[in-house]
Amino acid sequence: MPTAPIKEYADSDGRYGRVQTRFVEFDGITLESGIYLGPLTVAYETYGELSPAKDNAVLILHALSGDAHAAGIDEKGRLGWWDAMIGPGKGIDTDKYFVICSNCLAGCKGTTGPPSINPATGKPYGRSFPLVTIGDMVNVQAMLVERLGIEKLLCVIGGSMGGMKALDWAVRYPDRVRSSVVIAATARLSPQGIAFDWVGRNAIYSDPVRVEPAGDSGGGAERAGRGLAVARMIGHITYLSEETMEAKFGRKRRLTDVNGYRYSLGENGGGGGEFEVESYLEHQGSSFMQRFDEDSYIIITKAIDYFDMEWSYGTLSAAFRNILAKMLVISFSSDWLYPTSMSLAIVRALQAEKKDVSFVELDLPYGHDSFLVNAGMPPLTRIIRGFLGRVSEGD
Amino acid sequence: MSPKVTEFRNPFHEFEVGFNVIMDMIEPGTRVLDLGCGTGTLLKRLRDEKDAEVCGVELDQEKVIRCIERGIRVMRLDLDEGLGGFPDLSYEYVVLSRTLQQLTRPSRVVKEMLRVASKSVIAFPNFANWKAALQYVIRGRIPMCGSHPHPWHSTPDIHPLTISDFRDFVDQIGGKIEKEVYIVNNAPTRSAFWANRRAEWGCCLISAA
Repeated sequence: MPTAPIKEYADSDGRYGRVQTRFVEFDGITLESGIYLGPLTVAYETYGELSPAKDNAVLILHALSGDAHAAGIDEKGRLGWWDAMIGPGKGIDTDKYFVICSNCLAGCKGTTGPPSINPATGKPYGRSFPLVTIGDMVNVQAMLVERLGIEKLLCVIGGSMGGMKALDWAVRYPDRVRSSVVIAATARLSPQGIAFDWVGRNAIYSDPVRVEPAGDSGGGAERAGRGLAVARMIGHITYLSEETMEAKFGRKRRLTDVNGYRYSLGENGGGGGEFEVESYLEHQGSSFMQRFDEDSYIIITKAIDYFDMEWSYGTLSAAFRNILAKMLVISFSSDWLYPTSMSLAIVRALQAEKKDVSFVELDLPYGHDSFLVNAGMPPLTRIIRGFLGRVSEGD
Repeated sequence: MSPKVTEFRNPFHEFEVGFNVIMDMIEPGTRVLDLGCGTGTLLKRLRDEKDAEVCGVELDQEKVIRCIERGIRVMRLDLDEGLGGFPDLSYEYVVLSRTLQQLTRPSRVVKEMLRVASKSVIAFPNFANWKAALQYVIRGRIPMCGSHPHPWHSTPDIHPLTISDFRDFVDQIGGKIEKEVYIVNNAPTRSAFWANRRAEWGCCLISAA
């Protein structure tokens, strides 16, 4: 009997209720590359009430494939990607905090990105979208936060790429963040991480392009391959641990025939996969094709590849010198993509600068994605709730 | 100083008498690092009663989470891997309470403490305590009592020491004992007849010589 596919996000209840993504417009922004990008739309959601003193705002920073819909239930009935963490009485308590989540620059969920119309051509940017950095994403978020009338955030919280942004926020805007929670992240993407991203992008580049009639340039061309699905499959392998794969899938097969094997490659070698793990990856890849834009995937993974605070500031200590925020760094024992050693590099540099840093490595077997899955929720809820309490009490 | 309590404490009971002794050794308004801070009980008192800027180091995940829930700054690190991340003299005090005898490399950790802070406070169970010694000599058993609550096969106390041993140890690693307090019958005292055989715990303030 086929097992249910692993859910990408933790089970949740949508306790916050109905939410709607909102949009705000800006003239534009000069990117770190020097290119001007405008006009600019930012998609965001908010949960809870901003206090009269405007001192209870928490900014949630999503990972590679996330979006502004972090909590509650949207108009299509979908739960937010971190609904298990955000809501009334949850780790990030919407009865206490005003929670903001925005889709990142170059995303494909409402914020200006490759699928957006390039005003110069009247067509989507597609792959002609300028390369952006994690810093550019943070700068755009800072514009949003300012527009919402918030001078100083109580906390910025993110995992994976979101953790990079949380770190960058504390460095870039020291007087605008009181605290930062950096989960399963690194201050410098490893060559291994760059390698996986490169393979993922190559899968996309390998797709055949169905070129549209002459005159079309940059984007708009419909693509015919499954490169994005393959990229996502590679990504998913890096997000899970060997232990999780063994526990969840083992060598289980969906269809068997002679000797327990099917002795068939299936249609075009695909056919949904024979092993459970194949079927899981197939499902993840296919569903990602439906919900994500391949050019966004290219641009965002490139931004992650560029992220290297050592390079940008000389040393990590130099990068962190001006940080004023209380820092909380969290890693997962089974995360081999951004292992604990990378979190410890952040912690040590913060210590060297005598910053207020807390550090927890959580013993969880679920790999890099531990901050999104069921088992990660109880410890993370306790930790984040406690940390936010300390920060908001002003200790 | 707390009122005298006669019975030996359950090991899971908070180390109240010892904590009072440690509290008395620490000047108000200072930066204090507690190594092996457990659930942060001492640090919470130091923060609330002494207005100290506190940080803990603890290896046990559950205890680390408890610290964060109590609003205590903490880092989950293994002391036996050293204090490499802590800059020189970044704290006024480092506390090592009930943990010295559990370390794989005590001399390395204590030397690091002397580097990281100008003063260190170390509280440790005294294995020369006569009640414990009697269990060994008369009953022929590895002692189990309030300060050594675990059977030999599951005790984390892998490096038993005595107050006299500690004095030699501090001398050997280039430190200096500035203050000694003994906990005898669960009550603190600055001077006690035959302290090395009567005290359940020793608590010393030390600095680099």
